Amino acid sequence: MVIAKRVPALIRSFRYQSFFIFLVTLSAGFTERQGDLYFVALLILVLKVFIIPVLLNLTAKRINVDEGLGLFVNSQLSLIVALILSYCSWVFSRSLGFGLYHKLLGQTVAFSVLFIGAFLMISRMKAFSQVAGLLVMENGIFLFALSVSGGMPFFVEIAIFLDVFVSVIIMGLFVYRINKLFTHIDVTKLSRLKG
Amino acid sequence: MQIFVILAIPLLLAAGSFLSGRQKIIGIANCIGYGLVLFSGIILLKDTALSGRGCSFLGFIYLDALSAFFIFIISVIAFSVSLYSIGYIDKDMAGGRLSGKKAKLYYLLFNLFCFSMFFVPAVNNLGMMWVAIEMTTLISAFLVGFYNTKESVEAAWKYIIICSVGIIFALLGTILFSCAFSISGLSRSLNWSDMAGVAHILDKNILKVAFIFILVGYGTKAGMAPMHTWLPDAHSQAPAPISALLSGVLLKTSLYAILRFGIIVIKGVGLAYFGHLMLLFGLISLVISSGFILVQKDLKRLLAYSSIEHVGIISIGFGLGTPLAACGALLHVLNHALAKSLMFFGAGNIVNAYKKHNMNAIRGVIRALPFTGIMLLLGVFALCGFPPFCLFVSEILIIIAAFTNGSYLIAALLLLFLSVIFGAFIYHFGKMLFGNLPKGMTPSGEPLSGKLAFLFLFVLICALGIVLVLKIEDLLWITRNLFQL
Repeated sequence: MVIAKRVPALIRSFRYQSFFIFLVTLSAGFTERQGDLYFVALLILVLKVFIIPVLLNLTAKRINVDEGLGLFVNSQLSLIVALILSYCSWVFSRSLGFGLYHKLLGQTVAFSVLFIGAFLMISRMKAFSQVAGLLVMENGIFLFALSVSGGMPFFVEIAIFLDVFVSVIIMGLFVYRINKLFTHIDVTKLSRLKG
Repeated sequence: MQIFVILAIPLLLAAGSFLSGRQKIIGIANCIGYGLVLFSGIILLKDTALSGRGCSFLGFIYLDALSAFFIFIISVIAFSVSLYSIGYIDKDMAGGRLSGKKAKLYYLLFNLFCFSMFFVPAVNNLGMMWVAIEMTTLISAFLVGFYNTKESVEAAWKYIIICSVGIIFALLGTILFSCAFSISGLSRSLNWSDMAGVAHILDKNILKVAFIFILVGYGTKAGMAPMHTWLPDAHSQAPAPISALLSGVLLKTSLYAILRFGIIVIKGVGLAYFGHLMLLFGLISLVISSGFILVQKDLKRLLAYSSIEHVGIISIGFGLGTPLAACGALLHVLNHALAKSLMFFGAGNIVNAYKKHNMNAIRGVIRALPFTGIMLLLGVFALCGFPPFCLFVSEILIIIAAFTNGSYLIAALLLLFLSVIFGAFIYHFGKMLFGNLPKGMTPSGEPLSGKLAFLFLFVLICALGIVLVLKIEDLLWITRNLFQL
């Protein structure tokens, strides 16, 4: 994901990531024998693997700007940063010092997804990558919730999914508006408001 | 039962503004609706404050004095905003900035925004509270970008991205809280009514880490420095009635969330940890905002930075942690909402008349808009904490608490920055209100509904300034009950 230079590649890798989270949730459902988790997994499959990427692709097509993400940090360096962030999240989750050893691995993965999402948001120029970064961070949070406490209460989970879905639609609308008003979606050039 | 009335009316009004034809009728219907909401809010506050216990409906809605107090604040501001909106939207339509369709959209979004804010203090489940706060961001982003100019869309984009990222950290904190809960061998639940009772047996380390995430996350939304960067942009670009809502109550709903988690942390970890963090963020907010207020050129940004200052004062009040300080901070939440809405209404009228935000180009407001000018002049003194206005009472309570608590440094810093900000406000507003009219300006009349909104807020500010002093013993008792200090 961090080596993606263009919008479609970023969306595709988000789709793969969501698919893996779907598999993890499904397997957690098998081991913990909870009906809720199956439903949540299904929701992930529908929303995050199909609907949200399709929506993002539609927005990308409609605004029809050049597809580069505008990297501040080139893709090789980004990969190294991602590795460092993963190591940091290992150290971080170990020093948090709660949960059993087998949970530690899940926490590490979750934190590294979270950190990489944040890194994506700040190291790319285009508004699109911020939306994608936010979604990646949300994936990380979901993984974390799954690994430490087997997910949140059921209807909270549903509400959060709907919320993410709505926020993607709204951010898509704003990307569209920015493009219409400024004729670009380069957030580094949004600097009218200061002081 | 009143809570269902409070939640239903904004939804009905939203549906009404979607269906109905003329925006004037919608505006008047809004006023009547929010008048009813205000009435039931007062009854609710009276009931819960007297009983001193929380009550829950179906396990989903939970109300105690704290949530009733915040619902009351939201209903007061929503009522005055609905009064002010009639005149403001009329002016905008006459000036060609809005079409009839957009005016209807405004009322629709306004009602949904109010609904989502009423929802935050009413829900029992802390996860649902997160969802409700995120909904307030998403709905108000449209209102911030309402004029669809380059600046407003930029402000809305910053607002939605910064607040969404901030609030994701709050979600992480919420999950950590529920994790602390499940590690202690209790059933998986995020219900406040379950959590508050068992706070003392939860794992201390997890609570500490979780509260930092909560404070950073909801603090972003509450406008605490240094996570405040979205706030001046959003407040300055939104339509004036929406700025009043954003600054008066939206920030306070996130403060409410911080308080809810804070109460668990106070019980579980102890007051000192909570207090030190709140004091730290409060002081940073004061320092940063006072600097920006001194050198500010834009009228609405000035008021936005003043909101950061007041959020700082409130968090210092909670950080001190004595009943007196907490009581002062709670009252300051209400008082700041009243005074700041008054100021934003005034700023809206000025911007409408002069077509500018730049304070150097605005002169002679008292001559151009006599009523607004006088109200603004009184509002400045109220906002800076002059007696007999109610902000004086809450600020002096916090300062007294700081002295009696022995935190002389905090009290000294608070007084220093308050006086710096007072000087800056008098300088900026003195230049703007007095002086000669610019060429080509003529004194103009103001709509009746706008005047009513001003008077409503102003009477409240004056009356509370007297009533609060007389009732201070009762208020202290309620605060003590609430935080169990």
